Amino acid sequence: MEKKRTNPIILIVLSLFSLACLIPFWLVFMISVADEDWVTANGYSFWPGKFSLVAYQYLFEDAGKILRAYGVSASVTLIGVVVSLFVTSAMAYALSRKEFPLRGALSFYILITMLFSGGLLPWYLVYTRFLHVQDTLMALIIPGLIGGFNVIIMRTFFTNSIPPSLIDSSQIDGAGEFRTYFSIILPLSLPVMATIGLFTTVSYWNDWFTSLVFIQNEKLFSLQYLLTKTLMNASFLQTIANKAYSSTAQVTTPLESIRMAMAMIAIGPLVLVFPFLQKYFVKGLTVGAVKG
Amino acid sequence: MKWLKKSSVVLSSLVLTSVVAAGCGGNNAANSPAGTAQPGSAASSGLKPYEVVMVFPDAPQNDNQRVQDAMNDYLAKTYPEMNMTVKLNPIDWGAWSDKTNLMMASGDKMDLLFTADWLGFQQQVTKGGLLPLDDLLAKYGPDIEAVEKDYHGPAKRGGKLYGIHTHQELGGAQGVYLNKELVDKYNFDLTALKSGKVEDLEPMLQTIKENEPGITPLVAPSFPLEAYYSSTNLDSIVSIAAINTVGTAADDYTVINSYTTPRYMELAKLTNKWYKAGYINKDALTPGLDAWKKIQAGKGFAFVSDMDIIADMEIGKAAVSPNGSIKAGREMLQIPLNIDRLQTGKMTATMYAISKSSEDPERAMMLLNLFYKDKELLTLFNFGIEGTHYVLKDGQVALPEGKTTDNVGYYHDIMWQLGNQMLNYTRVGEDPNKYQNYEKFNEQVSSNPSRIFGFVFDPEPVKNELISIDNANKTFVDGLKSGQLDPEESLPKMLEKQKVAGADKVIAEAQKQLDAWLAENGKK
Repeated sequence: MEKKRTNPIILIVLSLFSLACLIPFWLVFMISVADEDWVTANGYSFWPGKFSLVAYQYLFEDAGKILRAYGVSASVTLIGVVVSLFVTSAMAYALSRKEFPLRGALSFYILITMLFSGGLLPWYLVYTRFLHVQDTLMALIIPGLIGGFNVIIMRTFFTNSIPPSLIDSSQIDGAGEFRTYFSIILPLSLPVMATIGLFTTVSYWNDWFTSLVFIQNEKLFSLQYLLTKTLMNASFLQTIANKAYSSTAQVTTPLESIRMAMAMIAIGPLVLVFPFLQKYFVKGLTVGAVKG
Repeated sequence: MKWLKKSSVVLSSLVLTSVVAAGCGGNNAANSPAGTAQPGSAASSGLKPYEVVMVFPDAPQNDNQRVQDAMNDYLAKTYPEMNMTVKLNPIDWGAWSDKTNLMMASGDKMDLLFTADWLGFQQQVTKGGLLPLDDLLAKYGPDIEAVEKDYHGPAKRGGKLYGIHTHQELGGAQGVYLNKELVDKYNFDLTALKSGKVEDLEPMLQTIKENEPGITPLVAPSFPLEAYYSSTNLDSIVSIAAINTVGTAADDYTVINSYTTPRYMELAKLTNKWYKAGYINKDALTPGLDAWKKIQAGKGFAFVSDMDIIADMEIGKAAVSPNGSIKAGREMLQIPLNIDRLQTGKMTATMYAISKSSEDPERAMMLLNLFYKDKELLTLFNFGIEGTHYVLKDGQVALPEGKTTDNVGYYHDIMWQLGNQMLNYTRVGEDPNKYQNYEKFNEQVSSNPSRIFGFVFDPEPVKNELISIDNANKTFVDGLKSGQLDPEESLPKMLEKQKVAGADKVIAEAQKQLDAWLAENGKK
C-alpha cells in the first residue's frame, strides 16, 4: 500500500516529461496543417484558426524529389546500420577476448580516435583524393560505420555478460572462432545490438553534414539534407539581404507550413523504429547458459 | 544463425562491389572530354582543350547539364579558337561557405569563383586562394576594361587586383515602401518625406495604428538603423570605424566609432519610441521572418529597405515600385530617403575571382571577358535555352506557355553575379528600360564619390579586436535596431563593451592607415 501511494507522483512527473517531449511535435504538426496566410499573420499556434493541407499537397506534387531523398536516407541507414553493427561487434568481440594479443594496443587506438579527430580538411581530402567516394552513397555510409564509443560499450557488454567459460565450453565442443561468434555470442547480445543499433539508426538518419560536404549530385541528397538545405538557404539569404542585393536578388523563402510538413515526414521512420526494438531490451539472457 | 552468416557475406560483398564501383566511376564527370570542340580550329590556335569550372552560389537547377551543353555548343561554334568548354558548378547558398572553404583548402580544381566581401573575399586573399589578375586582365580582358576600368581599386589587396567587379548598379537607394491602398485611403501627404528624414513617417504610422487594428504600421525586419543610418551618415571603413559625413567638412577625415554619433542615438530613441507605441511588430527578430510576406498577407503598411532602381530617382519622390509590387502582391509605393554615394565596399560586393587551383588562368579570364561582351552567352547562363526555359515577348523574357518558375527546369535571378549586367534582357513585368535606368543612376552615384573612395582597410593588425567587437555588439545591436532596447540604458553598456574589446585600437589603426592612404593620394 505504501508503495502504491508514490505511484501517482511518479505518474505525474513522467506525464509532464512526456508532454514536454510531445508538445513540440504537436506544434510542428499543427503548423504543417495550418493555412499559410494565417500563420504569417498570427504566428505559430497550438490550434491554428484555419486549416489547410496545401503543404502536404505541395510535397505530394513534388513527390519525386522527396521520395528519392527518402530512398537515399533509408538505404544509407539500412546498409549503414547492418554493416556498422557487424563491424562494431566484431571488433568489440575481439577486444573483449583476453587471449587476443593486440588487445591493449587496439583499445588505446580506439581511445585516441575518441579524443582527437583529424579535422574537416584531412577528412575531406582522404575521401575525395584517396577513396574518391564524393557523390556516392559510400560517402554517406563510411563515416558512421565505427564509433569508438560504441565499440567500448559493446566490449564492456561482452566482457561483463558473456562468461568466458561459455566460450571455452563451445570451443571444447569444437566450434571455431567464427562459429563461436555467430552462433553463441551474437544471439546472446541482442540487447546491446538493439541499443547500439538504435544509436546508429538515429545518427545515420539525422546526418546531414556529410551530405553537405561530399554530395553535389541532387539525386543523392538525403532527406535531412534537403530539409536543412532549405532552412540554411533561407537564413543565409536573410543575413545577406541587407548587405548586398536586397533590391536585385529576389529571395523566396520556403513557406513555413511546407518546412514543417517536411519535418513531419522526416520524423516518421524514427518514431516507428523504437517500438520494434523495444522487445530486445531484456535482461537475464545468460542465466542458465552455463552449466553450474 | 545460418541466414546471418549468409546475409553478412552478401552484404560485405555488396559493400565491396560498391566501393570498387565508386572508385572507378566516381570521377568520370570531372574529365569528360570536350566532345563538341572542332578539331581543326584547336590546332590553328595552338590551345589545348580546357574545361573552365565556374563556381557560384545558386539553388540547384534541374537542367543545369542541358544549359551547360548549350553553352559549350555555342562556345565551340562562336569561339573555336579558344577551344574551351565550361562546367557550371552551382553551390547552394546555405552550403556556400563550408563548401568553398573546403574546395579551396584542398586545392580542388576551380577556375572562376564568385566572391564578395560578405563571402570572405579578404580571407581568401589572405590565405592565398586567389590569383592576382592584373596581367591577365591587361591581356585578356578588353571588354571588362571597357566598362570597369575605373572601379578596380577597391578589389586590390597589397597593390594587386584579386577580383573583377560585375558591371551593374554602383550603389543603391534606401527609403521606405508604403502600401499604396492605405496611402490613398487616408490621403497621406507624402511631400513631408522630401526631407529625407525617416522621422517624418511618424504621423502616418500613428494614423494607421489608431484606425487599422490588425495592421502593423512599420513592418520589421528592416529597420531605420540598418542600411538607412549607415548610408545617410557614414563612410564606413570597417566594423565600427567610419567617418561621420553629416555636419563635418568635406575634407574632414577623422575616424570615429559609428555608434557614438548623435544621429545614431536619435534613431535608436526613435525606433524605441515606435516600438513602445506598437508601431513595430514584436516578432521583428524572429529568424525566417519575411517583411514582404507580412505585406502580402495584408498585415503591414510600411517598411524601410533598399529601393528598386527606377527612372529619375530623387530623395522624397514617390513612385510605384515594380519589383516591390510583385513581391507584395499589391501596389507598393517607394520613396527614396537616401541615394548612395560611390562607396568602396559596394565595388567588392559582387566579384568573380580566379582560383589558385586553376590550371589555365588565361582561359578562365578569356571566358570571364566573354560575359562582359557576349549577350548570347550571358543569356544562356542567366535564362537558359530559348524556347525551353524562356520565350521572348517584345524583347523581354517570359516563361514558356504553361510553365511556372518551379517546373521550367532552369530559373534563377542571379544576373547580378556575373559579367556585364547591362547586356541582359529584362523579364516581363519589369521596366523595359531597367538597365538604362541603371546607367543613369550610376551617373548619379559616381558623380558623388565617398570621401574615401578607393581606400581599402587591411584588417590584419586588428583581426582579433574585430572579432571581439562583433561579439560585444551581438548582445545589443539587434535589440537596438528593433527598438526593443532603450538606448539611454543599453548604448553606454555596448560602448563600454566595445572599449573592452579594443574599439579604440581599431579606430586608431583605421586612422593610421587612412592617413597613409591620404598622403599617398595627395589628399592631405
